[in-house]
Amino acid sequence: MVKHHNRRMARRGWSASPIRALGISATVLLAVAACGTAPSEQKSSASSDEPIVVGISLPLTGDFSQPGGEARKGYEIWRDQVNKDGGLLGRQVELKITDDASNQDTVVTDYTKLITEDKVDLLLGTFSTLLNFPASSVAEKNGMLYVEPAGGAPKMFDRGYTKLFFAQQATASHQPDTFVKYIEGLPENERPKTAAYPTQDDPFTTPVIESMQKQLEALGVETVYTTTYPADATNFQTIASAIADKKPDLIAQGAVFEDGVGLVRSLQQLNYSPKMLFQTSAPSNASQYSEGIGEANTEGVFYTVSWNEKATTPNNEEFVAEYAKRFDGGIPAEDAADAYAAAQVVQAAAEAVGSLDQDKMADWLHSNEVETILGPLAWDETGAPTSEFLLAQWQNGAPEIVAPEAAATVDTAVAKTPWQ
Amino acid sequence: MTQLVQALVLGLLIGGVYALMASGLTLIFGVMNIINVAHGALLILVAFVTWKIWSVTGIDPILLSVVMTPLMFGLGWLLYKGVLSRISGSSPGMSVLLTFGIAITIEGVLNVTAGNRFRSATPSYFSESYRVLGISLPKAQVFGCLAAVVVLGLLYVVLSKTWTGRAIRATAQNSSGAALVGIQAAGVAALAFAIGTATTGVGGSILSVLYPFFPASHYDWISRLLGIIVLGGMGSLAGALVGALVLGLAETLTATYGSLQWSTLIFYAVIMLVLLFRPQGLFGSRLRQDVMA
Repeated sequence: MVKHHNRRMARRGWSASPIRALGISATVLLAVAACGTAPSEQKSSASSDEPIVVGISLPLTGDFSQPGGEARKGYEIWRDQVNKDGGLLGRQVELKITDDASNQDTVVTDYTKLITEDKVDLLLGTFSTLLNFPASSVAEKNGMLYVEPAGGAPKMFDRGYTKLFFAQQATASHQPDTFVKYIEGLPENERPKTAAYPTQDDPFTTPVIESMQKQLEALGVETVYTTTYPADATNFQTIASAIADKKPDLIAQGAVFEDGVGLVRSLQQLNYSPKMLFQTSAPSNASQYSEGIGEANTEGVFYTVSWNEKATTPNNEEFVAEYAKRFDGGIPAEDAADAYAAAQVVQAAAEAVGSLDQDKMADWLHSNEVETILGPLAWDETGAPTSEFLLAQWQNGAPEIVAPEAAATVDTAVAKTPWQ
Repeated sequence: MTQLVQALVLGLLIGGVYALMASGLTLIFGVMNIINVAHGALLILVAFVTWKIWSVTGIDPILLSVVMTPLMFGLGWLLYKGVLSRISGSSPGMSVLLTFGIAITIEGVLNVTAGNRFRSATPSYFSESYRVLGISLPKAQVFGCLAAVVVLGLLYVVLSKTWTGRAIRATAQNSSGAALVGIQAAGVAALAFAIGTATTGVGGSILSVLYPFFPASHYDWISRLLGIIVLGGMGSLAGALVGALVLGLAETLTATYGSLQWSTLIFYAVIMLVLLFRPQGLFGSRLRQDVMA
């Protein structure tokens, strides 16, 4: 999931001061200067019997420890499953995971060290645009393939990188596409006529909501309210009462998590229930979301998501079963599934080209589709994915997939019920 | 007009809760020159414990502050005696390092024991409001603010009307002078730290109902609370109250008449302006060393 924590991180990161940004660029430059030859040239990996070492830095502590910890679970389950099946290219896989403490400077140091000192064979990405942005620079300058499980902000992909791949279905600005399609497919009289667009100021939520507003306006949905609020906003009563005054049919919120719960609670306090409610990622947080707003109030809430535990994609059942076995019957977080999928992408590329040649693997990924637990993924020349997110909806207290049909877990979407 | 009144009322309700949360922080700084960066983490700790008890027993979270407050008083006492007293007399910088360590420890313990996920207590009234003359007053916010007023009132009475309170204030104003007239500085410091920590017992209980939280939420809270007490004047209880109300009003007024995006900026712009003309904050007292510097 691109979801919430990406944004959490993202929020702080992008607003970093110019001085901090300079510091980071300087670190990246130094890191790049420190290593002349690309590791792919230094190794003749495929011929060796040594284990393949995959280098990863994750936010295991700090603000983003939650998605970081989930990503680690996803990566580790992938490693164990690959090793059980005879390894990658006949070699066992080892993960070398370091903790970047959710810090941009540390993630740069970590990947530089993994590449230049530890001389790892492969890399896998970290979490969030905030951390993947500088980390992917280190990888690119060192000629290393960099598949990231999160980090879908559009600005990741305008740097002309050739070894960066985002292992989800779509970038942020295409995240609402399935929802817009769903609205378009409704009979004229069932479509919302007016819409409000509150969004957190975050590189992941803002493009989603802006893109949705543009697309829905083109369909004739009138915009009656827009606002952007900062990441540290905690009180939503004022926004909620401004929205309630306008009585929009649809509220589409760029919500990370607390803000999604906060706005719904405030709308409940005002007793204003829109006909349709879409939130970017807050509703993807399973029971955390339903406990936050009350389970009865989740009915009919829409969101888009990269993965679902009931999807019939290859390996998904095994992944879900293994996760449940290891973690007290728990359902994997989307973050864990995304990490697992990123690893599947790297695995597919290595197996297809028959070696760990970073250039060849990247070339192959640019021109081929990969089956993952998220579904098939493919990329354009910038490494931005070219598929579509799943449209999900809360129904009877559980998240279901409504579209596309191939991944749907239920037949139809339901109407949103008033607050209970 | 209704819009303005609504914004003002909400701002005051929010500010009242902020004031309660900031009161312990400013008290501890005033008496001991300790910048207790762990204050936010203690709030989150209380919020977690409150949430847990509420989810198991169903006892009202805000009511639970009656239990949490003495518990936090005890924890504050132990923390001071066991850890903070060892840096007594050092620079405030030292206290930042030490209490930051305590904050990270609490965050880590919560991560492991309570789980790294969002929680929020949702008693039946969390989604309800009172309607008065077209103004909506969210019940949770009202109860939270009432609890805050009670605690701030008690704190005021204790500090100004009791011998213990006078001893605390005397130590805050002039610790060597206080020692000279027979006040045991060490005992007073422990007491002040314990009282300051006890306020998180109420603040954290209210937080658990009003705001979703997870172990790392304390960073957001401590930065907000530090802003409040810098504006009001480090160490001043009245200053914390005024700073908190300014922040609450800045949030609701900017959201009503502009965009919430500006609220943080405006709040810090106010802090800058105030510090430009009153470096000690609105209600802070200037110390001799400040003047010399």
